[in-house]
Amino acid sequence: MTVKNNILCNSSHEYVYEENGSYYIGITDYAIEQLGDIVFVELPEIGAKYTKGEIFGSVESVKAASEIFMPIGGTVTEINEQLIEHPEMLNENPFDEMWLIKVSSEFYGEDSKDLKEYSEYKKEVE
Amino acid sequence: MAKTFLYNNHIKLGAKMVNFAGWDMPVQYTSIIEEHNNVRNNAGLFDVSHMGEIFVFGLDSLNFLQNLVPQNLEKLIDNKAIYCQFTNENGGIVDDLLIYKLQENDYLLIVNASRLEADYNWLINHKNNYSVNIENKSDIYSMVALQGPKSAQILDEVGLPLNLQPKTLFITKTKLINEDVFVSRTGYTGEDGFEIIIRNEKVSELWETILEKGKPYNIMPIGLGARDTLRLEAAMSLYGNELNETTSPVEANLTWSLDKDKKQNYIGKDVILNQLKNGTKRKLIAFKMLDRAIARHEYDIYFNNENIGKVTSGSIAPFLGQNIGLGYINTNKNLKINDTIQIKIRDKMYNALITGKNFITKHNKGN
Repeated sequence: MTVKNNILCNSSHEYVYEENGSYYIGITDYAIEQLGDIVFVELPEIGAKYTKGEIFGSVESVKAASEIFMPIGGTVTEINEQLIEHPEMLNENPFDEMWLIKVSSEFYGEDSKDLKEYSEYKKEVE
Repeated sequence: MAKTFLYNNHIKLGAKMVNFAGWDMPVQYTSIIEEHNNVRNNAGLFDVSHMGEIFVFGLDSLNFLQNLVPQNLEKLIDNKAIYCQFTNENGGIVDDLLIYKLQENDYLLIVNASRLEADYNWLINHKNNYSVNIENKSDIYSMVALQGPKSAQILDEVGLPLNLQPKTLFITKTKLINEDVFVSRTGYTGEDGFEIIIRNEKVSELWETILEKGKPYNIMPIGLGARDTLRLEAAMSLYGNELNETTSPVEANLTWSLDKDKKQNYIGKDVILNQLKNGTKRKLIAFKMLDRAIARHEYDIYFNNENIGKVTSGSIAPFLGQNIGLGYINTNKNLKINDTIQIKIRDKMYNALITGKNFITKHNKGN
């Protein structure tokens, strides 16, 4: 597993990183390990607007459904289509290819202030 | 939190542990889906030591127990088990359980962990003048379940030859690993299999022996996560989900487990007979999702935009590869098998089809 070095995480186990002006949002490897086998992913429509902390979808394991929250505010520009057909791919690598949504955001500077670097986040959850 | 005598075995196997009915239990070892399918295809070993073992014996045992269950225990022959419920005055279910007749007026009751205390009190409170002894031996005994089509061969290797193994719903007192045990051909997965009751001190050795002897048959240890999906895929009810003190066996579709013609009185009999005659306001149904979404416990069920009930259990069914569930619906819509209902999931409606309670057909019935 590779982890981007500019990845930031929140306490509800979502992450965000920036690449070529887009913000990629997903859930952390720790969250996925806690959930177990992922069997269903529900993602928003392209164009949907959310503020930081809003629910934008859900990830379901065999046992339970978990809502997922925006680590920053933004507008959805792309969803990771392959996860709709193959939610189990999330178990393989939550980072890199397995982001959930891509957003455009004017709020990153402000909204990312309380997010933690991955290494710091990992220390807290483990 | 209470720990079973297999706690260290679970930790050694890398299990993820959760609190279940006050017990620190393994929810999964590797993956719920993998464990689930391994029980359907090969075999699995479960720690079910949290379940309760209550012995009832003495002159009036049969009459005493007959007063507590809608099932007719007179039908039981020695060493046979029967599925039944303790019912209350309103026909509600205090617990569902297996009653084994060990011999005349000598019974073993296997009850749910979450209801052990309630069951024991229920028995004591209804002892009245019956000449009967009630002994809760749950603190002395542990229990493991060996389930799946390869179970009989594995048990043979562990030391109980095929020709001496109990037949379906029978129990036998025998020796395994040089220890007295009860072995019954029962389970909660929809597969052939056995449940073994053994003294706490010996359960770890039995567990390791079964896993070792089962290796050539691809046995796996199975957690409570797969136990739940296996029972749901077999459309079996779980106390606390489908069954509780307000649901009757008639509402819960357990009419097959009661005797309509039972002569003896039992608690709740008038209510249950009335329900059998006149029907109930709600009924437990099984359904499979038509849309791609998963129904969960407590989600609302709709028909033509009208809320008609609630989901009691819902999940993906790993072996079927479908999303399924159980739930109560009102009977006034006369909905039947193959009718379409809706499940409300995160404020959206998703279609589901009412099915019979045969999501899977048992592919290895045992002997």
